[in-house]
Amino acid sequence: MTRVNPVRRLRSVRAGPDPGSEPADVLARVGTGDSTAFDQFYDLTIALTYGIVVKVMRDPAMAEEVVQEVYVEIWRLAPRYDPAKGSARSWAATIAHRRAVDRVRSEEARRVREEKVERQSIAPYDTVAEEVSDRLERGRVTRALDTLSESQREAVTLAYFGGHTYREVAALLELPEGTVKTRIRDGLIKLRDAFGVTP
Amino acid sequence: MTDQLHHLAAAYALDALDIDERRAFEAHYPTCDICSREVVEFRETAAVLAEQSQAMPSPELKDRIRDEVSRTRQLSPLLPESVVRLSTRRPWRTTLLMGAAAAVILVIGGVLGALLNSSRTDDIDAVLAAPDAVVSSLDGDRGSLQVVWSPDRSQVVVFGNDVPAPGPAQTYELWFLLDEGVAPAGLFDPDDGRVRVLLDVDDLDGRGWGVTIEPEGGSEMPTSDIVFVGEI
Repeated sequence: MTRVNPVRRLRSVRAGPDPGSEPADVLARVGTGDSTAFDQFYDLTIALTYGIVVKVMRDPAMAEEVVQEVYVEIWRLAPRYDPAKGSARSWAATIAHRRAVDRVRSEEARRVREEKVERQSIAPYDTVAEEVSDRLERGRVTRALDTLSESQREAVTLAYFGGHTYREVAALLELPEGTVKTRIRDGLIKLRDAFGVTP
Repeated sequence: MTDQLHHLAAAYALDALDIDERRAFEAHYPTCDICSREVVEFRETAAVLAEQSQAMPSPELKDRIRDEVSRTRQLSPLLPESVVRLSTRRPWRTTLLMGAAAAVILVIGGVLGALLNSSRTDDIDAVLAAPDAVVSSLDGDRGSLQVVWSPDRSQVVVFGNDVPAPGPAQTYELWFLLDEGVAPAGLFDPDDGRVRVLLDVDDLDGRGWGVTIEPEGGSEMPTSDIVFVGEI
């Protein structure tokens, strides 16, 4: 399988070529119980995992709690990481995002978050959509997102950064669920192709 | 249904499915080449989006995590390939059917065998060795549990490590998740974080397991949120 891995490509541009510090290699060492490698993997991925968790949760204290669980999970599961199933960074991001949305969807978190949103007097989808568009005004991702229709971009960002199910997105946007499902799928296909993620 | 499942890979990769659809899709996609490939691709795509929201937590977090990790045991890498594939693809569901039963016994026996010394150890072993034993991994905010069920023996063994105490005058209750509704499957409590409990259960067509925290003595119906969940 010759996969162009955009995540790793981004990293290697930033970090320079050093095979020993590739996240996948570090994660493989974590899987052998190497706590030094775990520290290294934390340093390599913490901005990514915390960034997405705090984006979804919008509460730094709760986000840190969740990130703590994320890294315990990374430690537990590292022996079973399989590079054929994706890059180490996307593996970590997947665990982090899943934990964040599961926490957000638990009733307590939902209540806290909604109160917070009410205090800010901003509709939740507006907040997320605006934040996301503010923060995504740069680089490759922006250009990729530009290839999406406005409605696809809205559906993808509300789902991923807003932590909403597609059903919730449909309710927020007052659209049929099937429409939102299709927009998410079409949007993600366009992004996948724009990012060069191909099998 | 299957046709619809094929179109859920994108929403799944964004964690935008509700729990029922997530479970249904996780049961489907490892058996479907197209969906498996799409899940990998869409997760990579989502991770590129995540790269744009990088942020740093407080510096103290690393020490707290180090501390907890130093007390946490890693999962065994020695599972057979089929099991590894299931467990990495389906974090919420690891179902091992009869073909893998021997491997299951080896793995669980190897990890836990030395720890089992209750008077019902023989019965626990018998459940693990049962040809129809089905192992489910339950996940939740309170760590992880494994449930081994032998329908022929009408018995279930619950395994867990680092499971926090349920609270004063409270107990954990295991539930069968049925096609419609739930049915009680028994009570258990951790002993210093560890759970090794044998339960006698009704003969039901369980689709999954759920665990809630209930008042001492248990409840007829769940009275709190599910704290662990997994598919059978």
